Amino acid sequence: MEHKQNIAIAKEILRLRLSQMLINEKYKAGLFKIPLHIAMGHEAIAVAVDAAMEENDLLVCSHRNMHYNLARTKALKPILDEYFLKKEGLAGAELGSMNLANEKKNIVYTSSILGNNLPVATGLALGHKVKGVNGLVIVQTGDGAMEEGAFYESLLFMKSNSLAALIIVENNEWSMHTRIHERRSPIDLSKFSESLGAKYEKLYENDPYKYTERIKEIREYALKNKTPVVAEVDLDTLGGWYVDVPGSTEKRFIHPHSGPLPKTELAEWPELEHSANDPVFVLHTYFSSDELKAMAQEILKNIKKEIGEV
Amino acid sequence: MKYIEYVNQLIGEKTAITERLVLFGENIAAGSHISGLTKQLRVGKGGLVINTPNTENTHAGAGLGMMLGGVSSILFMKQQDFLLLGIDQLANTYNFIRRKKPAASFTIVFVIVDSGYQGLQSSINNFGDLCSIARIPGFTITNKRDAEEIINTHLVSPGFRIIGVSQRLFGKELSEIETVSVNAEKTLFHYKKGNGATIACFNLSFPYGLTLHEKLKEKGIDASLFSVNSVTPIDWKDIIEDVKKTKNLVVIDDSKSENLSCDNLLVAAYENCKMDHAIAVKRDIKGNDWLWPNLDELRIDYEEIAKKLLG
Repeated sequence: MEHKQNIAIAKEILRLRLSQMLINEKYKAGLFKIPLHIAMGHEAIAVAVDAAMEENDLLVCSHRNMHYNLARTKALKPILDEYFLKKEGLAGAELGSMNLANEKKNIVYTSSILGNNLPVATGLALGHKVKGVNGLVIVQTGDGAMEEGAFYESLLFMKSNSLAALIIVENNEWSMHTRIHERRSPIDLSKFSESLGAKYEKLYENDPYKYTERIKEIREYALKNKTPVVAEVDLDTLGGWYVDVPGSTEKRFIHPHSGPLPKTELAEWPELEHSANDPVFVLHTYFSSDELKAMAQEILKNIKKEIGEV
Repeated sequence: MKYIEYVNQLIGEKTAITERLVLFGENIAAGSHISGLTKQLRVGKGGLVINTPNTENTHAGAGLGMMLGGVSSILFMKQQDFLLLGIDQLANTYNFIRRKKPAASFTIVFVIVDSGYQGLQSSINNFGDLCSIARIPGFTITNKRDAEEIINTHLVSPGFRIIGVSQRLFGKELSEIETVSVNAEKTLFHYKKGNGATIACFNLSFPYGLTLHEKLKEKGIDASLFSVNSVTPIDWKDIIEDVKKTKNLVVIDDSKSENLSCDNLLVAAYENCKMDHAIAVKRDIKGNDWLWPNLDELRIDYEEIAKKLLG
C-alpha cells in the first residue's frame, strides 16, 4: 500500500474521532435539541467503507450514523449545522441526526428504526439489478437490529433474487443499555448467514487498512457472484463511564447509547483506550506517536477553522 | 365482464407497455394469481415479475427502496391485513422519501377482504385506517368507471399510493356508468345530478349508493350521486354546493373504522349548509362486537330513507 494512501486513511480516522469529540463538547454544553448517537470506536469500518466505495455504490445507514456521514461528507460543519437544525445543515434541518443521509455522497437512506433500513436496501439492490447497474448496496446495521425479523426477511429476499449487497453488522454487544447475554440467546451469525446461502465475514481489531482491503475484496465478490455478504464487525462504542450505585461499593457501567459522554474530553491526542478496541490506538501499527500527534494537531486546527472556532 | 376480470385487464394493459417495471408479491404468477387479480400479467422491456418469499415487511420497504433508486414497481397482496407487517415502512420510510418528489412509482394493490367473516383478521380490513397512518394516497375501486380513471392515472405514475379492490365485488358483473365529473386527483367522482337529495358514498359503498339513487327515483326523488374514493383530504366544495341546492344529504360509509371519512363531510355540511335532512348510513358496531362475526354487507332500509326524505 502506498505511504500516501496510508496517511490519508490515518488522517481520516483522526478526523472522525476529533470531529466527534468536538460534537461531544457541544453536547455536554446542552447545545442540541435532538438526540445524537456518538460513534467513537466505530471509525475504522466507516473509513474503510468510504475508501472502498465506488461511484455506483449506495450506502444505507442506521440511527448511529455519525461516523459514516463524517467519512462520506468529509466535513463537520454541514453535519453540525444539521444537528443544530439550521437551514444550512446537510439536509436543511429536515433529517436531524437519526435519519441523516447525504445523497450527493451516496448515503441515500438512513433510518432511526431498528431493522427498517434492511428492506429499503433490498429494494435499492433490486433496483440496481433491474437497471443493470454494477454497484454494491451497503447497509449498516447492528447486533440489536439483527434481532428484528426484517434482518432475516431481507437477507432471504436478497439471496432469493441474486442481489449484490453488503450487510455490515456493527456488533458492539449492546442494545441501548442491555448486553447481548442479558437479552437473548447467542446467534451464530456465520451459521445463520450460510444457512441462507449468504457469505459471512468477520472483521475485528479495528485496523482500517486491513478493513479497507477486506471490504474491497468483499465488494468484488458480492458483485461478481450477485449475492449478499454479511460482514460482522466486532467493535466497542467508546466513551462509557461508571456511576456510583447507592448502598454499594461497586460502580455501574453506563454504555454510550444516545446522549453526551460526560467523561470524554476533547484532547489533541484523541486516543480513548490504549488497546485494539480503539481505532486511533491501532494507527500506531503504521505510524510513530510523534507522526500521529502531529497529524492530530493539524487536523484539529483545520476542523476548528472549518467550524469557525479559531 | 366481472369486476375482477376488468381490474385485471386494466392493470395488464398498463403493465405490458411500461418499461423497467417490477411486479412482485406472493403467488402473483402461480395458483389462482390472487383470485385472478394478477392473472397473465406481463411487463414491458427490462421489467421483472417476481413471486416473492413471504416477507411482507421487506416487500413494503423494497418497493420504497426501488422508488428511491428510480425503479418503478407494483406490489400485489392477497389481503390488506398482510400489509400490517409493513406499517413501519409505510410510515417511516415513506416519510423520508416523500420529502422530495420521487421520479419513480410504487403502488401497492391489495384485496380488501370484505366478503364475509373470515376470522379475526377481517376486523382490520379497513382501507381508511391503513391509509391514514401516514396520510398515504389511497384509492378504492368500486365500478368500471373509477377503475379506469384510477388505474390509468395512478398505477405507474411517480409517487406512492395504495389501491384497494373489494373482494365482495370480485364476482359482480360490471355495468356501464357515466360520470358528470371527476376531479383531477381521481378522488371524487360525480355520477348523477339531481335536485331532491345528495348521496355521498365512501369507501366501497358506491353500489349501495347507486341502488339508493334508483330507489329514490322510483319515489320521485331525483338525487345527485357522488363517490369519495380516497381518505386523503378532499375538497368538499362540489358536494357542499350540491347539498346547498338539495338541502338533503345521505352519506353511506361501509368501512368498519372508528374514524370515518363520511363524518368529515357531515361536519362540513352542518357548518356550511342549511339542511332539511342529514342521514348517515354506517355500521353501528358497539364495544367488542366488531371482533365477532359481522356481515360485511351493509343492511340498508332504502324505503325508510325515502320516507324520511319525503317526510
